[in-house]
Amino acid sequence: MERFVIIGAGAAGISAARVLREFRPDDVITVISTDEKIHSRCMLHKYLGHERDADGINFAGTDFFENNNIIHIACETVSKIDTENKTVYFGEGYSAPYDKLLIATGSGFFIPPIPHFREAPNVFGFRDLSDALKIDEAFGKGKRVFIVGSGLVGLDAASALCHRGAEVSIAEMAPRVMPLQTDEYAASVYQKVFEEQGCRFLLGIGASDAVVDGEGNITEVILSNGEHIPCDFIIMAAGVRPRIQIALDSGIAAERAIQTDDHLRTSAPDVYAAGDCTGLSGVWPDAVEQGKVAARNMAGVDEVYPKPYPFKNTSNFFGVTMLSVGRLDLTDGAEILVHKTPKEYKKAIIKDGRLTGYLSLGDISNSGLYLYLIREGIDVSGKQDKIFRLTFADFYGINEKNGEFAYKT
Amino acid sequence: MKRIFIDPAKCDGCKNCSLACMESHRQDGGTGLYTLDLTDPANQSRNRIISDGKGGYSPIFCRHCDSPDCANTCMSGALEKNQETGLVTYDKDKCAACFMCVMSCRYGVPAVDPERTRIIKCDFCAHLEEGPACVRACPKKAIEVREV
Repeated sequence: MERFVIIGAGAAGISAARVLREFRPDDVITVISTDEKIHSRCMLHKYLGHERDADGINFAGTDFFENNNIIHIACETVSKIDTENKTVYFGEGYSAPYDKLLIATGSGFFIPPIPHFREAPNVFGFRDLSDALKIDEAFGKGKRVFIVGSGLVGLDAASALCHRGAEVSIAEMAPRVMPLQTDEYAASVYQKVFEEQGCRFLLGIGASDAVVDGEGNITEVILSNGEHIPCDFIIMAAGVRPRIQIALDSGIAAERAIQTDDHLRTSAPDVYAAGDCTGLSGVWPDAVEQGKVAARNMAGVDEVYPKPYPFKNTSNFFGVTMLSVGRLDLTDGAEILVHKTPKEYKKAIIKDGRLTGYLSLGDISNSGLYLYLIREGIDVSGKQDKIFRLTFADFYGINEKNGEFAYKT
Repeated sequence: MKRIFIDPAKCDGCKNCSLACMESHRQDGGTGLYTLDLTDPANQSRNRIISDGKGGYSPIFCRHCDSPDCANTCMSGALEKNQETGLVTYDKDKCAACFMCVMSCRYGVPAVDPERTRIIKCDFCAHLEEGPACVRACPKKAIEVREV
């Protein structure tokens, strides 16, 4: 009988636990997490917007641990891994021995070195349920929120708080909202819908200082142009950093992220890593996939982690949906095709007969194949005239054995 | 585990399968094609027949894949692969409308509902004892339910 220990109960940790249980019905699986409850980080805004309670954002089912006979040690943070004696230490003097260990500690929000920001008690992240709880509490005392960063996390928080009547200001260093996912036009559409909800954007500008009260709380943010923005609390959504402290403290190779090989093994024997802490990718589907691959390797299956997907995301704010895949900014020597109607906006970037970027704003139904075309580098030359109307019919094939589809290219 | 097998060579593009799907999932309480509002996006079909313009047709139906891109990328737990029935089930109450599944299905099957609050995807007509309406409506037997 083997003992498997997983550190972290996010997308990677839970998918790994599920797969391990499938492969090893009788082995001991333990999940240690700082989080009290399993929750989907991508649904935090539903919690903050009071649309759902904590159970409502549990992506694995509320009885996941019981149903899968997995030991869950909640609200505990692992302080050290003894890789020689194969033991993890957590809490006040507790330890758990392992035969195989998975580090799936995710990533944490990052606070840039702006004066007062790192110390102020009213500066919050928006990563974990515990962050949402703190914001909820702060919101009870004051409704003016200053959000740093207009990426998906910042806009998620903004949409949730707008929904509850907050007065929201969002500062973004880039000249447009959601700079990674959008182009100028798509950004302007989102900017407009948020402004209609009462949000104020401060674009191309950063926070450079703050005014604090006697308790160190930030009461005004000072922008780089000198403007003062009064606020009751601040949400940091200016990027994340892999959580690697455990690895650093335990002699496991890590720089910006925990280093892994093609089997998601770390530098320590029988210690694996998956999800955001590996720095391989930062999106949910990839973390899930890494958790599965790591778990299968831990269970003795020899499996290589495939190349991560290209950059990809979807967003849905106030009913405006967008799909954004690949790189929209790499346009040198590329063919750029645009389709624009009052209801839709689509953009395709084609290089050497291959799609390298695709953006769709409006009805994004049936558009999953664009991610596949980009990821697999499938030849679309000669299809430019119907690039926005491509369907699987253009690559139609059937796997005769099991009746599934198969790409014919 | 069952799957709808497709023989595209037999399909002559009549789209009876699409009509049957729309009829099977209509929410207005009515019955019969004569009262089915074909223009209402809420009634859209979960399957699609695409013509190649040369007399050939490509039926696109949810495969309820063995390793489903949609469920693999679902961050809410709304989409799940049922290992017993083989079906990829969808719970609209769990769905957070992030549309990661729409982005991830390599065959472009899931659609977004007009309200942008849920997805529209084949449910194998779970509410019908006799099984998927599309299969029964196909006059050419181009689609049929088989064990896999």
